[in-house]
Amino acid sequence: MIKPTIGELLSGVAASLRERVLPEIPAGTTRRQIQAAIGIIRRVALVWDKTGPYLYADNEDIAQTLERMLPVLERVAAEEGNERIRVVHTKSRQVLERSTQSGQPYPSAEVLGTRNLELQEVLADMQEALHESPAVKSVDRNELKATLYALFHRMLTRELEITTPARRP
Amino acid sequence: MSAAAGNAVSILREQLRELIGAQTPAAQGIEVGNLSPLTAGNTRNAWSFDASWDEGGTRQMVGCVMLRKAEAGQLETPLIPEFEVIRALAGTGVPIPRALWIDPEGKWVERPAFILERVAGTSDFPALLRPEGAEISRGVAEHLVEVAARLHTVDWRARGLDFLPATSVQTAAAQQVDYWEALFRKHRLEPHPMIVGAFIWLKEHQPVADRITIVHGDFRYGNLLYEGKRINALLDWEMVHLGDPVEDLTWAYRALWSPASVMSLEEFVERYSKLSGIAVHPDNLLFYRLFNEMKHTIISLTGAKSFHDGRTRNIVIADRASTVTSYLIQFLDWLPELSMRTAK
Repeated sequence: MIKPTIGELLSGVAASLRERVLPEIPAGTTRRQIQAAIGIIRRVALVWDKTGPYLYADNEDIAQTLERMLPVLERVAAEEGNERIRVVHTKSRQVLERSTQSGQPYPSAEVLGTRNLELQEVLADMQEALHESPAVKSVDRNELKATLYALFHRMLTRELEITTPARRP
Repeated sequence: MSAAAGNAVSILREQLRELIGAQTPAAQGIEVGNLSPLTAGNTRNAWSFDASWDEGGTRQMVGCVMLRKAEAGQLETPLIPEFEVIRALAGTGVPIPRALWIDPEGKWVERPAFILERVAGTSDFPALLRPEGAEISRGVAEHLVEVAARLHTVDWRARGLDFLPATSVQTAAAQQVDYWEALFRKHRLEPHPMIVGAFIWLKEHQPVADRITIVHGDFRYGNLLYEGKRINALLDWEMVHLGDPVEDLTWAYRALWSPASVMSLEEFVERYSKLSGIAVHPDNLLFYRLFNEMKHTIISLTGAKSFHDGRTRNIVIADRASTVTSYLIQFLDWLPELSMRTAK
C-alpha cells in the first residue's frame, strides 16, 4: 500500500481533530492536551519519511569528519604520549571500521539510529578527553574544536528539518 | 462537571478545610468555596478557591490559589524552599503573593502543595509580544527592571534565606553548570555530543559574579501577573537559588519571551545597574546567555524523558526534545570562537 501515505493519513487526522474535535472542547487542561497532540501529529506527518535519509546523511557526515580527525588524534597520542587521547583514537577507529552503513543498501531507520548513537558517543567522548587533557597543544586542540563545531552546525541544521519542519521556507 | 469530577472537588474542599484548620489553630467555622481548577503549568496544578473563617471575633476572608505538584514533569523541585522564599520576601517591595499554608508531603491534599493569596492580573505574555501590546509591554518592561533591581538587592541573610545552598562570587557559575550538567547526564536519551561540548565550554569560561543575590531562576514574561503596565506578582519560584543576578537578566531576554522589541537588553541592563548598583560585566552577560540556552535545553530534555519513561502522560511536554535544536543553534551562534555563518 502506498496511498494514503502515513503522512497523508496523519495530516488528515490532525486536521479532523483541529476542525471537528477542538471546537467542542472548552478552554482548559484537556484542550491544551489535544492542541499539543495535534502539534505532534502534524510534525510527525511532515517528517515520517525523512528520518531514514536524515540519519543516513548524519552518519555519513560524522564518519567522514571523524576520518579527517583521526590523524590529528593519532599525532597527539603519539607525540605527547597522551593515553586518554590514544584510547579515544582507538575507539574511533574501531567504530569507523565496523560501519554497517555501506554494507546494506537499504538499512532500516532502527539500524541507522543505532549507528548514529554509536557515532554520537565517539564525539562526546572525544570532547571529554580533550577537556581532561590540558597539555594538548593549542594548535591541535583548536583544529579539533573547529572541526567539531563545524560538524555540530551541520548536524543541527539537518536536525532542524526533522524537529521543526513547518518552519522551513 | 461530571459526577466523578464533582465528587473529587468535594473531597478536595474538605481536605483544604482540614489543612487550613491544622495550620490555623485559632480558626473556627472554616469554609472553602468557589473551588475550581485553573489552567496549570507543566509541574504544578493550580486551583482557585475562597477561604473564610472566624478568628479573634472577626470573619477572615481570603482568595487563594493552591499549587499542587503534578505527576512527573520537566523539573522536580521541593516545595518548601520555594514557599519559604516567598514568605521571606514579604515586605521587601518585591511583588509576590502572600504565602499562606503548605502541605509539603501531601499529608492533607494527597500531593505536595502550597497555598498563596490570589493576586489580580493576567500572565498572558503573548499579548505583550504582539505589536498592538507594545505600549503596555514597554511599561511592564520598565517595571520588570525595577523588580529585578529590588529582588537582587534584598538582604537575603537578614531575611533568613541562608538555608538556600551556599555559594560565592567565585563558585556561583560553577555550581549552576554542575547542577544542570548532572541533570543532563541523568535525563538524556542519547549522548548529545553538542551539549557535552557546550557544558565543557561553560566550565572553561566561568565568570566571577559581582555579588551573590537571590536569583529567581525563571524571571521572565509569562511568570508575572500584570495589570495595565504594572506587575502585581512575580510567580513560579521553583528554580530560586543564590547566585549571579545576571542569570535572571539574561533569562528574561531569551528569544521565546524576550521584551527586546520594546526595550533592548542594553537599555534594560543600564537601567538595572543604575537602580541596583550591581555591575553587569559583558563576560557575565555572554556566559549566562549561553548558559541559559543550555538550562532550557535540559529542562526540555527532562520533560521529554519523563514522558518517554511513562512517569507523566502530559502531552504538552511529550515532544519537548524537538524544541532544543533551536536553543543549541542559538548557543553556537553566540559562541565568540565561532560564527555559524562561516561554518563549513
